[in-house]
Amino acid sequence: MSAQAFFIGFFGLASVWFGVVVFRTHSMMRSALALLFSQTALGALFLSMQAEFLGVLQIMMMATEMSIMAIFMVMFMMDPGGLGEMDMTHQKRLSLAAGFVAFAAAVAAAVFVDWGPVASVAPDAAQQTHDLGVELLGRSMLIFETAGITILTAMIAATAVAMPPVKRIRNK
Amino acid sequence: MNIELLLALVTGAALFGVGIYGALSQTNLVMIMMGVELILAAAMVNLVAFWRYLHPDAAAAQMFVLIVMTVMAIEMAVGFGVAIARFRAKGSVEMEEAAELKG
Amino acid sequence: MSLIASAILAPLSAALLILLLRRLPAALALLGAGVGLLASLGLLVDASHGIGSALILPGLPDLPLRLVATPLTALLSSLVAVISSLVLVYATGYMKQDSEKPRFFATLLFFVSAMQTLVLAGDWILLLAAWELIGLASYLLIGFWYRRSGVRSAATRAFLVTRSADLGLYIAVFILIASAGSSDIAITLNTDGHAAVAAGLLLLIAVMGKSAQTPLHDWLQRAMAGPTPVSALLHSATLVAAGAILLIRTAPMLPPEVLLTIGIVGGITTVVTGLIALGEPDLKRLLAASTSSQYGLMLVAVGAGVPLAALLHLIAHAAIKSSLFLGAGVFQHSRDSTALSDLAGVGRDRPRIFFGFALAALALAGIPPLSGFFSKDAIIAATLASTKAPILASLALAGTLLTGAYMARALRALWQGSGKHHDIAGLGWMGAGLAGLVTLAIILGAAFPAIETLLGVRLPENTLAQVLGLSAALGGLALGWLIPVQRLLGPLLPWARQGFALAGGFDTWMVRPALGIARGCEQLERQLCAGVLAVGRLGLSIGRAVLRGDEQGIDGLIFSLARGTVNLGERARTLQSGLIHRELAVTVVGTVLIFIPLFIILLIF
Repeated sequence: MSAQAFFIGFFGLASVWFGVVVFRTHSMMRSALALLFSQTALGALFLSMQAEFLGVLQIMMMATEMSIMAIFMVMFMMDPGGLGEMDMTHQKRLSLAAGFVAFAAAVAAAVFVDWGPVASVAPDAAQQTHDLGVELLGRSMLIFETAGITILTAMIAATAVAMPPVKRIRNK
Repeated sequence: MNIELLLALVTGAALFGVGIYGALSQTNLVMIMMGVELILAAAMVNLVAFWRYLHPDAAAAQMFVLIVMTVMAIEMAVGFGVAIARFRAKGSVEMEEAAELKG
Repeated sequence: MSLIASAILAPLSAALLILLLRRLPAALALLGAGVGLLASLGLLVDASHGIGSALILPGLPDLPLRLVATPLTALLSSLVAVISSLVLVYATGYMKQDSEKPRFFATLLFFVSAMQTLVLAGDWILLLAAWELIGLASYLLIGFWYRRSGVRSAATRAFLVTRSADLGLYIAVFILIASAGSSDIAITLNTDGHAAVAAGLLLLIAVMGKSAQTPLHDWLQRAMAGPTPVSALLHSATLVAAGAILLIRTAPMLPPEVLLTIGIVGGITTVVTGLIALGEPDLKRLLAASTSSQYGLMLVAVGAGVPLAALLHLIAHAAIKSSLFLGAGVFQHSRDSTALSDLAGVGRDRPRIFFGFALAALALAGIPPLSGFFSKDAIIAATLASTKAPILASLALAGTLLTGAYMARALRALWQGSGKHHDIAGLGWMGAGLAGLVTLAIILGAAFPAIETLLGVRLPENTLAQVLGLSAALGGLALGWLIPVQRLLGPLLPWARQGFALAGGFDTWMVRPALGIARGCEQLERQLCAGVLAVGRLGLSIGRAVLRGDEQGIDGLIFSLARGTVNLGERARTLQSGLIHRELAVTVVGTVLIFIPLFIILLIF
């Protein structure tokens, strides 16, 4: 077993573990932090799969995203600290079953599909970044621009939705 | 069968299952969003694994990951906007209480 | 304004005035009748000087309406005017207590003017109209006390009987006008042959109805339901007289076979109704039956070919019979009844009235020198002179005998016995009217030669007739006074009291068949109605079946489709809870369900 396989297994296990913790703890704060750790572990997983740019990007994005999410947790949850031991779940058995079925199906697909020849060498980080840049500003430029416009639209729309209704004063 | 690819895919499958469970079982809008984040994260793991072990020369795969990240961001932004509006209107984001869309 | 028109219009305008003003009805009525009387007498005087007058009014094209004053019509008009005026004088007293005087006097005057129109009419159309009008007026008068029980049916019966007999007059008039080409009565009198026979017989039917001849005599007795002045007028100079007047006016036209029929009908009537009068327990009904009987005698005279005798008897009878009725009215007021048993001895209480009544009764019986003697003598002489003397003379003598008998019986019933009486109002007026009429009844006989000269006809003279008539009258009086009616009539009495109804009379011979026909028609109509309804119902049921097919077939299919869709939607609706986690679960489960077959396909291939 190579070192790469070990790290993939380790960080995968970590991210899955923290993902489970997200829904196991009663404290919202801890949930948000667990998700942050899970995503960070994923970033590390990407790094160990030699996708350096994506790994770093993942860690940076998820750090900010999850901290924002933690703030919202505290804002919106009835019991952010989880001290009340409140059960915040429902239809638990169906959810469990669905989760297991999805997991089993995905594993089955991963195991039983013939993935063909596996590349042993990946391009180095500089080459990767160069290729990605050429890709972004070349063949996939339209998609990239569309994604940028879409995220801008989403930001404006989210702000508009979140703004309090303006009371109009009629001058008479 | 490459052990690294299998490990990565199993990791993705596990994250996907956990995310499904979370999205279905949680009552809070923000927690449901966390479940969705996990599902999307599982997709990213798979995409990165496929790039690394099947098509290391295709930059489009990394491009795809970027798009999924964008989708995650958009999901977060819109989700929180809706959450704020809902909280302002009803004082809670408990989805058990939100049945306005019942047909 | 001509005298003819005023004779008719004076009573009519008085009637209208009474209806408009609603006060002083008696005075206005007397005024109107008086003016009419003067006009009629004027006509008579003119006629006696040989001056006839005529009034031609616009009528149907080529058939103008005519009013003529010949000696005959002027005489009849005067008779009507005199009798009606005296009756009105009497009625002023008689109706003093009644609350509906305006209606009474107005109707009575209307009646008088209609009768004047009838006697003065110079053409058939006007005569028909007047004939109908007196029918209507008599209906109104007989039914005057319409609130009392039996009065309405009596009025209706009188109207219906005379009306149905009137059909004979209508057809006769049509025949006459068609054959003569003119509606002028004087011209149509020249008709002869079959038309004359047919018209004569049809006229006889109308006369039988109007003058209450057997077998149509029943209604007259029932008509006693009206007030007594009405009875007096009906029986003397107006309604009943119309029939006899019609025959007297048309007598020159009638062929011998018709004359014989008329004579036999009249003879039978005089005997039959005489017997009825003899058995009658009610004074007014007795007098009514006697009216039929006397008119029967007049018909006998016409049948014997001497209408003048009939006319004289008509005149004498008018005065006599109205006197009798007026006297009976006084008795009725005294005792509040007209039954002879209730009236027993009333003559002693009211001797003067009874004296007048008795004089009139003797006049009717034919005792000289009262007027009835002369007219009856003329009739018997006429029958003896006719070709069918054995039949007609014996019938006339039987009638005379019966007249004496029932009048004597009435006098005896009124004189003997005793009862309680009470004072009555208006006796002065009633006495005045009665006195006038009784005077006429006594002295009219002296006027007969003048009438003969006026009309230019001589009556046959016959001493045998005088002897026979007088002995029959005296015998009748003796029989009636001395022998009780039960003995006199014997087994005939109950039958006579029923009006000699032949096996049920009218009810059997006319009413039941008429009702039967009506019932048959009703049955037929019902069945027709049922048939039409059945067709309609069939159509309805076809329509309903088509409708059901439409509703349950085509509509049902479409509706069930729509209902199925709606039901499906309702079921699908339950999936939509609106809750996010539910929707998510549905999504996941659905995805799984989609993937399972995909997996299976993947594994197979």
